[in-house]
Amino acid sequence: MLKGVKLASVLAVASLALAACGSSGETAESAEPTAPTSSVKVGMAYDQDGKGDGSFNDAAFAGLSKAQTELGVEIKEVNSGSSATDATREELLTLLADGGYNPVIAVGFAYSTALAAVAPKYPETTFAIVDSVVDSANVGSLVFAAEQGSYLTGVIAATASKSGVIGFIGGMEIDLIKAFEAGYIEGAKSVNPDIKIESKYMGAAGDNTAWNVPEKAKTATDGMIANGADVVYAAAGGSGLGMFQSVKAAADGGATVWAIGVDSDQYTVPALAEYKDIILTSMLKRVDVAVFDVIKAVVDGAPLVGVQNFDLSKDGVGYATSNSAVSEFAAAADAAAEKIKSGEVVVGTTVQ
Amino acid sequence: MTYLKSRRFIGAAFTAITMLSITRTITGNGDLTSTVTIAQALVFASPIALAGLAGIWAERAGVINIGLEGMMILGTFGAGWAGWQWGVWAGVLAGVIFGAIGGLLLAVAAVTFGVDQIIAGTAINLLALGLTKFLAILLFTNAPGGGQAQSPPIKGEIPTFTFNSLVEPLSSLHEKGIFFVSDFAGILAGLFYNMSLLTIITFLLFAITSYLLWKTAFGLRLRSAGENPWAADSLGVKVVQFKYAAVVFSGMLAGLGGAYLSIASTIYRNGNTAGRGYIGLATMIFGDWRPGGTAAGAMMFGYIDTLRLIDTGNQNVKGLILLGAVILFAIGALMLRRARRNSAIGFLLLGSVMIGAYFSATSFPPEVAQVAPYITTLLVLATASQNLRPPAADGIPYRKGDHH
Repeated sequence: MLKGVKLASVLAVASLALAACGSSGETAESAEPTAPTSSVKVGMAYDQDGKGDGSFNDAAFAGLSKAQTELGVEIKEVNSGSSATDATREELLTLLADGGYNPVIAVGFAYSTALAAVAPKYPETTFAIVDSVVDSANVGSLVFAAEQGSYLTGVIAATASKSGVIGFIGGMEIDLIKAFEAGYIEGAKSVNPDIKIESKYMGAAGDNTAWNVPEKAKTATDGMIANGADVVYAAAGGSGLGMFQSVKAAADGGATVWAIGVDSDQYTVPALAEYKDIILTSMLKRVDVAVFDVIKAVVDGAPLVGVQNFDLSKDGVGYATSNSAVSEFAAAADAAAEKIKSGEVVVGTTVQ
Repeated sequence: MTYLKSRRFIGAAFTAITMLSITRTITGNGDLTSTVTIAQALVFASPIALAGLAGIWAERAGVINIGLEGMMILGTFGAGWAGWQWGVWAGVLAGVIFGAIGGLLLAVAAVTFGVDQIIAGTAINLLALGLTKFLAILLFTNAPGGGQAQSPPIKGEIPTFTFNSLVEPLSSLHEKGIFFVSDFAGILAGLFYNMSLLTIITFLLFAITSYLLWKTAFGLRLRSAGENPWAADSLGVKVVQFKYAAVVFSGMLAGLGGAYLSIASTIYRNGNTAGRGYIGLATMIFGDWRPGGTAAGAMMFGYIDTLRLIDTGNQNVKGLILLGAVILFAIGALMLRRARRNSAIGFLLLGSVMIGAYFSATSFPPEVAQVAPYITTLLVLATASQNLRPPAADGIPYRKGDHH
């Protein structure tokens, strides 16, 4: 009995220790400055494991490297690691602010609490956060109308679907991702009110493994395809790979099925080259545009602060056209985009 | 397998299929016992089962292996790193070797230096997590198709087998929806559908372990090192060697479990184990430190995960809630027969609550859908784990001649 208690308590301690590890915030290399024409030093704190996710963090990096080459700013990048706590995220942001980096850009909603604590201590520094709103005079909150972009992919999915069944794979079941689902459903129903949409999340709120379980996303997609789905859209970070694998396997088996990517244009991501034939389009969340705009504003001496909503009208969201197969459905999507821009259609952020 | 044991096994399987069949008949949800569900459950169960089996080897020799998760992480990394460069079988081999290194580390710390085994195991978990993240940045960042947190895709595939001459008639029998018979057919067909060679190897490793540890002199000596090493030593058993062999082999099995995971997702990815090493440890305890029970526990986790993921309109979740109720009623009836009236009433009441939930709810909020599988798991674990007995000297550091 005593052993059981000991075991249980150690398991608990171990999980705490695990949480602490990796949160130490491993510092990534800071690239050598090319064409140093600006004295602006940009600090960038990525979420999770940083660059190489073929998605969200890579999009942020694209904006950063554009600023590096076009504006000649100096850059410094850090990662939070996959099991960081608010305390360690605070440390990372403090580290960057203390180091004279301005602006300091936090990539991901996970930084909200940490940034709210750090920003007021450095009133001279401009901060920015992607995907969240932090109420402080020196913070630019970069939010994206993911529901608008997802509405367009929903229109494309419903137009492309022959079976009348489409699927959605979500990562963690939180409002941010539910907005993708809501827009997707609304867009699909605008084309075909009777369409059936199957949704599945890889983990509950707080379950960080939800972004890293491609084998589960594959099984979920297999299930959707078995139930007749012929277009599947994933907003699930690293788990999204499983959707591509499942759709590819079904396509190899002779079925006409499509996958829709998210955040970056996944058709052009080298890591996904094997799957590009089945990637119809991707919902683009132009984190690169937002990051570049924030840096440029600081370089120009007029920092962007307050809530910055990157929606369709600012080209903050959209859909990718790099796979020519999507051109068949582009007319419907573009018409929907015009309606959203003109205000004729207002897309909700919660699933009805 | 003795007559008594095989009778117990058949009885347990019979009970499980009956309960599933009752649930399937009431819900009319064929997915619960379909070929595809069972085949996929095997894929999810295998890494967990391998981690559990790894735990059996170490703990039967008297070394608690909390480091299973870490050894599994090393295995996922090894498989991604070698599999990307030299193909999938090189990946399997590297996963096993990397896991063995983790096992060796635990053996040195726990057996040679007598470090508290739980602390040593935890240290290995932390080390493996940090090391693989570091190595991933170092080795995968600039590799084509890789990134800071993931390896490029593993080359090649593990062969899979489908025995169509068996699967087709069994699957069509499953479609007919006959009580018990169809469910049995669906489950049986699942064992011959899309079966990966690695899953077959996992089955073989369980069979080999059962035989080696319980039917041979080698196994008796190894287990004696976990029950009473001082007595074993007095009879000439080389206790330290046995502990070393057991813990290193434990690492190899955990590494293989990790490799299985990476190969199933075709890449190594930071955090891909998602705590399966700990789940493996739990199934080992649930399985009373024996292969049969451990396999059953792993299968249950795999099964419930699969049902949740291939669910449409929360039908499977509803099924699981009903299954939970059926289990509770069965236990209640058993308690009544054993004249334990108070516990019986408790179980029957709880079962009625779940039945009520099943029939009154037309749809379940997503939060319930998320937790329902875990509630069912918890119920089974709590009720099936009444008479567990770990090896007597499990976790006690051994010093030759230092009997107390």
